[in-house]
Amino acid sequence: MASPSTLTRRALLGAGGAAALAGTVAAWPRLTGADIPGRGQDALTILILGTSQDAAGRQQIADAFMETHPDIPVLIQSVQATDWGDFFAKILTMVASGTQPDIVYTATEGAQLFAERLALPLDDYLLRDAEEMRDYFEDVHPSLVEAFMYKGSLFQLPLDFNAANMYLNLDVIERNGLEMPGEEWTKDDFTELLRGMKGDATPYYWTNRLFGGIVPWLYVNDTSFLIEERAAGGEGFWSTFYPGEQRSGGYLWTGSNATDDRVHESFEYLRGLVGEGLAVRPEEGGGNTLVGLFASGRIGTTPAGGYWVQGLAEGGMRPEQYDVQFFPKWRSQRHQFGAAGYAVMKTTDKPDQAWEWIKYTASKEAMELAFPTPSTTPTRRSMVSDSLYTGVGPEHWSRFYETLDRFPDTGPIPAPPQQAAVETALIRNVSTALSGGPDLVARSLASLDADLRDVFAEEDPS
Amino acid sequence: MTTDRDSALLRWLFLAPTMLGIGIFVVLPIVGSLVLAFFRWDIITAPQFVGLANFTAMATDRTVGISFLNTAVFVLFAVTAQLVVAMLLAVLVSSRMPGWLRVFFRSTFFFPLVLSAASVSILMKYLFNESYGVINWLLSLLGIPAVPWLTSPQWAMVVVIAVYVWQNFGFSFLLFVGGLSAIPTEVYEAGSIDGATGWRQFRHLTLPLVSPTVLVASVMAIISALQVFDQPYVLTRGGPGDSTRTVVMVIYESAFRELEFGRASAIGLVLMILIMLVTAVQFRLARRFVFYQ
Amino acid sequence: MTRRLPALAKYAALLVAAVLTLGPVWWTFTTSLRPAAESFSLPPSFFPTSPDFSSYAAVFEQIAVPLLVLNSALVTGVVALGQMLTAAMAGYVFARMEFRGKNLLFAIVLSTMMVPVQVTIVPVFMIIRGMGLSDTLLALILPAIPTAFGTFLMRQYFLGLPLELGEAAALDGASPWRTFFSIYAPLALSGMAIVGVLAFNYHWNEFFRPLIFMISEQNYTLPLGLVTLQGNLGTGSISVVLAGVILSMVPAVVVFLFGQRYLREGLTAGSSK
Repeated sequence: MASPSTLTRRALLGAGGAAALAGTVAAWPRLTGADIPGRGQDALTILILGTSQDAAGRQQIADAFMETHPDIPVLIQSVQATDWGDFFAKILTMVASGTQPDIVYTATEGAQLFAERLALPLDDYLLRDAEEMRDYFEDVHPSLVEAFMYKGSLFQLPLDFNAANMYLNLDVIERNGLEMPGEEWTKDDFTELLRGMKGDATPYYWTNRLFGGIVPWLYVNDTSFLIEERAAGGEGFWSTFYPGEQRSGGYLWTGSNATDDRVHESFEYLRGLVGEGLAVRPEEGGGNTLVGLFASGRIGTTPAGGYWVQGLAEGGMRPEQYDVQFFPKWRSQRHQFGAAGYAVMKTTDKPDQAWEWIKYTASKEAMELAFPTPSTTPTRRSMVSDSLYTGVGPEHWSRFYETLDRFPDTGPIPAPPQQAAVETALIRNVSTALSGGPDLVARSLASLDADLRDVFAEEDPS
Repeated sequence: MTTDRDSALLRWLFLAPTMLGIGIFVVLPIVGSLVLAFFRWDIITAPQFVGLANFTAMATDRTVGISFLNTAVFVLFAVTAQLVVAMLLAVLVSSRMPGWLRVFFRSTFFFPLVLSAASVSILMKYLFNESYGVINWLLSLLGIPAVPWLTSPQWAMVVVIAVYVWQNFGFSFLLFVGGLSAIPTEVYEAGSIDGATGWRQFRHLTLPLVSPTVLVASVMAIISALQVFDQPYVLTRGGPGDSTRTVVMVIYESAFRELEFGRASAIGLVLMILIMLVTAVQFRLARRFVFYQ
Repeated sequence: MTRRLPALAKYAALLVAAVLTLGPVWWTFTTSLRPAAESFSLPPSFFPTSPDFSSYAAVFEQIAVPLLVLNSALVTGVVALGQMLTAAMAGYVFARMEFRGKNLLFAIVLSTMMVPVQVTIVPVFMIIRGMGLSDTLLALILPAIPTAFGTFLMRQYFLGLPLELGEAAALDGASPWRTFFSIYAPLALSGMAIVGVLAFNYHWNEFFRPLIFMISEQNYTLPLGLVTLQGNLGTGSISVVLAGVILSMVPAVVVFLFGQRYLREGLTAGSSK
């Protein structure tokens, strides 16, 4: 009954089965994730947004930290995400699946989400170690710190930031016989500049996110799509570290301001740019393509912060091919910035060790390890210097930090605890507002208003 | 007797992995969805019984409403386009031609099926880019101004449908080629004597004969189109606005971006019921319209 | 039937369709061979006159491609083998054995074929969490092994094999185990190949479940890694992304070339139920 062909088939079946079994056993650590460094170990786990390469870069800091704190084993984990909103979704998923880290490197976009639901306030530790911390706060602009205050408590120490400045492509400007604008330029100067850009370059390219999207145009028009208030509190902190500064207990975004006339005016202005063919319609995401397009001379202007310098250099752009200018002036010249720092998770069982990490990473030594290249702007003023930018940065790199001094009302990305829902509402309506006639702007803003009202009416589930 | 006991043992041992697996990962989750749909739960805090709130919210929530509408539009156009393209090419490929050429065309039209929807969407995103995409470049050669494919609410859905159809028509095509090859040549010979050629022949001979295949192909196409996620996620993230947000995208976003697990379950249940209804309706229609040999 | 259709029009239509089908993939390939700085330039280059492989090197630098491939291969491989085995076993029982409740069990199996993974993803997520498998490859593998469709397919396959073989073996005193493993299973290998190739095609390309279940980058599968590479906040060029896309297509194309028959049979098998 066993023909030769059945025999071979049987052998094949047996060999296949054995190989599958052996393979599964051999791969078991991979299948269960047990081979992921630190999994199941009791290390202080630090999560960052980025690739494993970024995590490896951060490892230097971890190694230096463990040298001075041999009793605290540290593990750097990275999570890839397309933007901060995506990153927070992943962290919430981690919390939901019971695999959350002890510390998360997070940005302004998530500051209040963390403060409200996930993070531990640092106040007690700050007061305890006030003397040690002085050096840090003396070097960091108070606007950046205020962005991480929430209801009178400080939740993160900002380590890097980016204000939305305007990048100008000097190749495109030269090609069209235009001139680099001055620091006091207005939005009408800006429009004229765009009109002068002919040929195959897109005069203004922008994204559809909180940062670099519509918000900078609302801020310079002295408005916002949310009602902005300041919380009381934090006096102890401010008088300790910034004596004489009049600062608040943090920003509060309490409701929709989408039907404000100036909001309408800003939207209408951008719709006009799109309609006139001076700007592309806002795209979602698009960080890397934007760099490529700008570096290859296909974009005239775009809003970005200091984080672009390194990317453009890697994209083959020489420092003399572009420059950076303040955002053009409208009713004001208020800028928008985003910052980032480590937040300690409420759920951690090692809060003291976590604080040691926060303290160490805010030291100049650690920050120099963290930001060796201008792929972002360090919050320590003393580090935004020639040594960081020479040879790679644009002529006026100093504007990255000067933005904070020149425009003291410069504020953070408006991201309340309901960040995800707010950003979704904004992105959803910005695109429609700018894709049709003037009547569509009003309609979309009414719809944005309705969406935001829903967001703020919903009581927070936590 | 040992054989009987052996048989019983073998029977249960052989069935166990599949039945247990289906029980744990399909049946239990359906029951779980039914329960979860009546709760509000973010996993971090304790679940809260909310009765029908998740369902009533679906009726009032604009995003959910739009997503069902978008999915309906998507299914209607994507499935129609998929079936028409597939049928046309299947008829052409089944006509007389050298064998190697037939194999070439058949493999070509089937090829996109083996690629991942995510990869395809990535490359299509570049092709359809407004300012540097190849499609607009080709149009510019014809003097047509740049189309904002992915950034205008009107065009974005068109692109999502086109990309989906590009990748999936091969499936219906395969079914149709199989259906057509089953038609005996005598039928055509008899038909051509009666003067049935070209379109008439297709309409009155071919189509009735392959109608069972058309029915099956359309049921399968509708069911898979109802679940579309990868293409809109990668191409547009549901935007601009809500213009390409589909039901499965809303399930994903509710659950894993907003931690509204109850609401996500409720929407999932509705989608599941919809899929069952479509199947049932199509098989009822089948009894009336389909020509069985 | 279209015999009388003018041959020219017919071939022209087929050629256009073929160009539209293969064109995008060809463009992806040629663009991946352009240097990063030129990747946005128009007109596009449709022929790699001076191929530049730097983008392929960059893919390996920017994302951990070998690990992505390993993860995808492990998930796909274990799922495919698992499905082949479990479906063959269950299909055999449903085809060849009589017992009480068989029809009910088979009806349950068939009815779950209609339930897509997207609608039950939330409870599945919770079950995975309950099993302590969050953020492990097993979270993708375990729920994917039980296969209603594969079981159905294998049942059909076993029904098509001659009954006499088993009867003869039983008369020879072979145990039911021997009957299965030595006689029927070897004969069902091509049926199992269909199940395996289908599983490969589906899970190699799967995006939805990895997007939700895989959090650590070490656990990413290829499609997830590519989408992340494309959307990352960092820098990059489309050549690099497209090089990644081409790399991810290679195994699928290999299976397409060598397993096309199984894939076709498997895909169309669902329509004959």
